[in-house]
Amino acid sequence: MLIFRKPPQNIERPQMPADVVIVGGGPSGLACALRLAQLIDQHNAAHPDSLLSKENIYVLEKAREIGQHCLSGAILDPRSMRELLPEFEKEAPLDAPVGKEAVYFLTRKSKFKLPLTPPPLRDHGNHVISLNRFVKWLGSKVEETGVTIFTGFAGDELLLDDNHVIGVRTDDKGIDKQNQPKSNFESGYDLHSKIVILAEGSRGSLAKQLITKFNLAQNVNPQTYSQGIKELWEVPSGRIAPGEVIYTMGWPLTSNEYGGAWIYGGKNNTVSLGFVTALEYADPRLDPQHVLQEFKRHPFVAKMLAGGKMVRYGAKSLPNGGWWSLPPLAGDGWLLIGDSAGFLNSARLKGIHLAIKSGMLAAETAFAALQKDEFSASTLSQFQRSVESSWIKDELWKVRNFHQGFEHGFWRGLFHAGLQQFTNGRGLRNRYSSAPGYKRMQPLVGLPPNGGDEAHLLGPAKGDGQLTFDKLTDLYHSGTKHEEDQPAHLIIHDTNICEQRCIQEFGSPCRNFCPANVYEMLDDPAAPHGKRISLNPSNCVHCKACDIHDPYQIITWVPPEGGGGPNYEGM
Amino acid sequence: MKILVCMKQVPQKDAPLKLNAGGTWIREDVSYEVNEPDAYALEEALRQKEKNGGEVIVITAGPGRAQQVLREALAKGADRAIHLEDDAFVGFDALNMARALAAVIKAEPFDLIFTGLQSDDYGYAQTGVILAELLGIPHATIVMQIESSGDGIRVKRELEAGYFQFVEMPLPAVLTIQSGINKLRYATLLGIKQAKNKPLRKITLAELQSAVPAGAAGNLQKIERLYVPQKTKNTEFIQGTPAEAARTIVEKLRNEVRVI
Repeated sequence: MLIFRKPPQNIERPQMPADVVIVGGGPSGLACALRLAQLIDQHNAAHPDSLLSKENIYVLEKAREIGQHCLSGAILDPRSMRELLPEFEKEAPLDAPVGKEAVYFLTRKSKFKLPLTPPPLRDHGNHVISLNRFVKWLGSKVEETGVTIFTGFAGDELLLDDNHVIGVRTDDKGIDKQNQPKSNFESGYDLHSKIVILAEGSRGSLAKQLITKFNLAQNVNPQTYSQGIKELWEVPSGRIAPGEVIYTMGWPLTSNEYGGAWIYGGKNNTVSLGFVTALEYADPRLDPQHVLQEFKRHPFVAKMLAGGKMVRYGAKSLPNGGWWSLPPLAGDGWLLIGDSAGFLNSARLKGIHLAIKSGMLAAETAFAALQKDEFSASTLSQFQRSVESSWIKDELWKVRNFHQGFEHGFWRGLFHAGLQQFTNGRGLRNRYSSAPGYKRMQPLVGLPPNGGDEAHLLGPAKGDGQLTFDKLTDLYHSGTKHEEDQPAHLIIHDTNICEQRCIQEFGSPCRNFCPANVYEMLDDPAAPHGKRISLNPSNCVHCKACDIHDPYQIITWVPPEGGGGPNYEGM
Repeated sequence: MKILVCMKQVPQKDAPLKLNAGGTWIREDVSYEVNEPDAYALEEALRQKEKNGGEVIVITAGPGRAQQVLREALAKGADRAIHLEDDAFVGFDALNMARALAAVIKAEPFDLIFTGLQSDDYGYAQTGVILAELLGIPHATIVMQIESSGDGIRVKRELEAGYFQFVEMPLPAVLTIQSGINKLRYATLLGIKQAKNKPLRKITLAELQSAVPAGAAGNLQKIERLYVPQKTKNTEFIQGTPAEAARTIVEKLRNEVRVI
């Protein structure tokens, strides 16, 4: 019997007043907090007679420590950081400036180097970083300003007064598997805040509540997502230079799927490599973790990794809908920033710099609102206008149709991308539409039983233990850990659909797209098709793929007890 | 009652460990957490204070990162903290560490001093005992329960095979606390916020010069080599019909394993 997390009702909750609550301590949330603190400090220096306080500005972060849930390739475009902290390159942990770069098209056995690196993938002037280390450092800068970061606390629920967001409820701690309070139960706080800024990253759980509640996606393209699977390796010296950047297209994906790989050389002979697979593929048996394993078997990659050791694993979804998928960014009492809104340039495979910039602009709006002491949509929508007149828009506008162009496969996508290059992003029309990726998943009945062209990507990867790994081995290297005695935080609204319909129609794809073996179908003679759904919530790496990609849209990811989750140390 | 809790920051238990180049210790770039029994020691101290009143002070020795342990303790309700701050403390053995702690404690006496039963990294289980010896006060190890009794205390010690020992002790005393003695509390938002304004005193290694003049070089214990356990198990499949396989097993149990 599965028991899902359900907040206890009718209990007395402690209250705490706040000026600004930022939910999520990643690049956008921390940049927002830092910029806001800078603005307040500047104001206070200039106006000693009307001081503003930073005392009640809070950042909530569900990870036990800042940066532990942050995962990316990563390459940092320094543009926004130079605006935030002009001298940051002197003190931030950066692995190496980007040096040599190349883009390859792979076939099963060969590789073809593109004679020119396509402009969006030119990375000179950028830095290879570990996002975990970078964010940890950014967190320390925020703490120096006196802003409080509450680590180990998730935003569980939005507090609403009519249609005005008035705060955030933090997660309840000490609830057992049966949803009963344990002896050390500690109820979540109601943080009553003048402004709530959602910076939860891709497919934020409060952002989802907000977008659903106010129907914010009604006039924009549906958001589409990719799943990034990453491994960090230590390899013998001489294989790849620090700062060397390689992108690949093609193998192991076929021209039906959208995606590609990155390989970045870090310092101390580390290699960050990963594969991004759009959650838009047709075959429900496809497994993105398997795709990465196949990619590593390509001679080009296998040679680079031979004799090396995989040291870390992680997985995370990323929004690639771009400009046309951005929901309204502000309303009564709230702002949306970073990946929660969808600030990611999918042509460049980069979003950190945009997340930071969006956080900074949101801070400027929040600061003006604090000065005015007015927090309704009319004041906060200044953020929307600032984004539209900033370089975020310049950058995203040029690629507004990029991802949608690949809707009908790789080759037609290249045609559109090429055309868009010469028409300032327009292509054949000003706004290409998109469809949610889960709608593209095909029932098993119409698919070749042996997998056809995708056969090598389907089902669980076996792994040889040296170069390739099965999911559980990879998962161990994510460092993920949760309090075991708590209800499941992956809420399946109707498990009958899993056991009666999905198993037959799609073959339970949750087992494939989940990169962490959270979902299992166990033998059960009493179940309609001989199997019942079972969950291993403690394995969860908080990637949100299940919330995004399940074909019936019956899974809701909610935060588990704060402090649990992966540990992306050094990733 | 004035209680000191000695806490240590250790590499996180379940995370993959990386060894340093010399293979003598764990690389710095891993995740850290509070040593598990120390968390229980803190919880016990807070409960004693709630019952009997008094003050809870926490102390740690380690690099700047170790301050996290103190911050968490303050957020849970400790009144103030002391940080012996130096990278060198990571390499201290139990005797050296106890000397450093004793130097601080001699300057400010306590009724009770708690340590965890042992650390999750070195696992010496000696620091608390040596500390008591250096301070010239009694100690009890593997403590499962503490009650006041007259002017002193009565503690329950865990022995082996399900046996317990009850000991009456005078104060001051050193107790090493067993994991599981209580249920750990969570830090609250209010606690974390208040912790920011609680006193945290830093003491440098130089200030402890007279207690540990040689630093880590004064250690009596030394780690020669650290390595990940090597798999030595071998699985052998015995072929043949059930009767043949049974014969082979009997032969192996008799001649190789020598159990029958």
